[in-house]
Amino acid sequence: MTAPSIREQFAKTMLQLGQADESLVVLVGDISHFLLQPFAKRCPGRYLNVGICEATIASMAAGMAKLGFRPVIHTIAPFLVERAFEQIKLDFGYHRLGGNIVTVGSAFDYANLGCTHHCYGDFALLKTLPGTQIVYPGSPVEFDVLFRQSYRNSCMTYFRVPAHGHGQIFEEQDLTLGRGIRLCAGTNLTLVTTGPQLNNALVARSLLQNDGWDSEVVYLHTIRPLDTELVLNSARKTKRVLVIEEHMRSGGLGDDILRVLSMETGIQIDNLGIPDEFVRGYGSYEDHCRGLGLSAEGIVNRVRRQFGTPRRARSAEKVACL
Amino acid sequence: MRHNNDLRRTIVEMVYRGRDGHIPSAFSILDIVQVLYERVLRVDPRSPNWPHRDYFILSKGHGCLALYVVLERLGFLSREDLDRFCRSGGILGEHPDCTQVPGVEASTGSLGHGFPFAVGIAYGLRLRQMPNRVIVLVGDGECHEGTIWEAAHVAANLRLGNLCVIVDWNGSAAQLLPQDDLPLKWNAFGWSTRVIDGHSQADIVAALQHVSFQGIGTPSVLLAKTIKGKGVPFLEGHGHWHHRIPDEREYQAIMEALA
Repeated sequence: MTAPSIREQFAKTMLQLGQADESLVVLVGDISHFLLQPFAKRCPGRYLNVGICEATIASMAAGMAKLGFRPVIHTIAPFLVERAFEQIKLDFGYHRLGGNIVTVGSAFDYANLGCTHHCYGDFALLKTLPGTQIVYPGSPVEFDVLFRQSYRNSCMTYFRVPAHGHGQIFEEQDLTLGRGIRLCAGTNLTLVTTGPQLNNALVARSLLQNDGWDSEVVYLHTIRPLDTELVLNSARKTKRVLVIEEHMRSGGLGDDILRVLSMETGIQIDNLGIPDEFVRGYGSYEDHCRGLGLSAEGIVNRVRRQFGTPRRARSAEKVACL
Repeated sequence: MRHNNDLRRTIVEMVYRGRDGHIPSAFSILDIVQVLYERVLRVDPRSPNWPHRDYFILSKGHGCLALYVVLERLGFLSREDLDRFCRSGGILGEHPDCTQVPGVEASTGSLGHGFPFAVGIAYGLRLRQMPNRVIVLVGDGECHEGTIWEAAHVAANLRLGNLCVIVDWNGSAAQLLPQDDLPLKWNAFGWSTRVIDGHSQADIVAALQHVSFQGIGTPSVLLAKTIKGKGVPFLEGHGHWHHRIPDEREYQAIMEALA
């Protein structure tokens, strides 16, 4: 049996939670309609395909949150995060109403659809809203566990659901909102990553061993609240940090890491993200990643360019991985 | 409704002292807000979050001075609250803030938010089979916002009979976009539409008695013909008084007109 995609897991989680929790309501903007039919059938009235009117969906959901419902609003990322930003800011954020935004179309997942369907400034936007939580689940179990941990709290929580998982399998007990995961221990370089890029980071780690880099891989499924302790501890040890993310350099995870390490001395930091430019052109998700250097080879090249090679190449030692 | 000139005077005092506020917008809706709170809405000043209350959403937040003085008259607010309008340490600003002001259901001011927010409340109440009524006051200028028509479309399709919109039809919208047949538009969106005199207590109450407020049904809109700045002739209309703070001489002239 094929493992579900993260988006399919979203529908499964809604179904399971919705049957037990009558406060859970799901409002969609004409997307995932068929995927969510089991929820719609089992939870009558609590599924609304509102239509193509994202700003109204956000405000409506906030109105329901005022009554104590736990709303989930769902459509393609730019149409909620960017178009309905003011509704999220005022009707949820300022009102201090809890709710959940679950989007598809992470970064440039809709590669061929162009700028209208890309969304790689979402972390930056949402980080301006006090109290907002930002989760970037790179596997189905991450979505399931982190959603269950947070969906009833009083925060607005954003789940950026990517089409491509990172392929790693985590156990439920390893997953806590706001707590990162150190996948591999290392000594002279930290690769900090989030979302699907974890896979490239792990491949790059292996390739970089030939150069003498003994990389620690830190995976952050939660962008906010950020696990600053994990990042600090790793950076203080390795003294070199490369952040890899599918987000614009401005306002992304890299900026957060810079802030965390700003008072530290003797640490080199670089950020491999999307330049502060529109992603133009067409091709697949993988094509865009390659073009931006968001690949294992791109990570290796960036490390070589930015950090050179360690003075003394270490013998490739086996490091215990989770 | 000459009897509420005391409320109009209080509004002018608040603006004069606080050095901020929209007097004509408040005067435009004062009669509607007063009638709603005194004769229509089921609310409890001792328990602003009473679960069985009716919900009133002032979507055109800049008219909030009318809401403040009525809430003070009912006991939601104190005279001291009014005196500290737009002052440091006060809870009343130029737009209503539900996180601070008892009796205010939504923080509005950016136009086009309160109405879809109210649609969510109306749908949620129906889902819980609760009979609370939801009344939203929007401006005719606010009806330029796309979310007004998104929400109108959604509410009609959801058959939110427990929802009533009152449009403060004072002609602001026509200053900018004169071709604007509001009854035709609301009818076309599937709403039960009625044009009323927004300064007639009898007209407002009678129109609301025609609204069933049943959970499932056609939502209703009352297009209330109003006069911006109503009550003081030289404030009436769409001139520079929209956001003007009276000086001493103007203040005295307004108070005399409201004597």
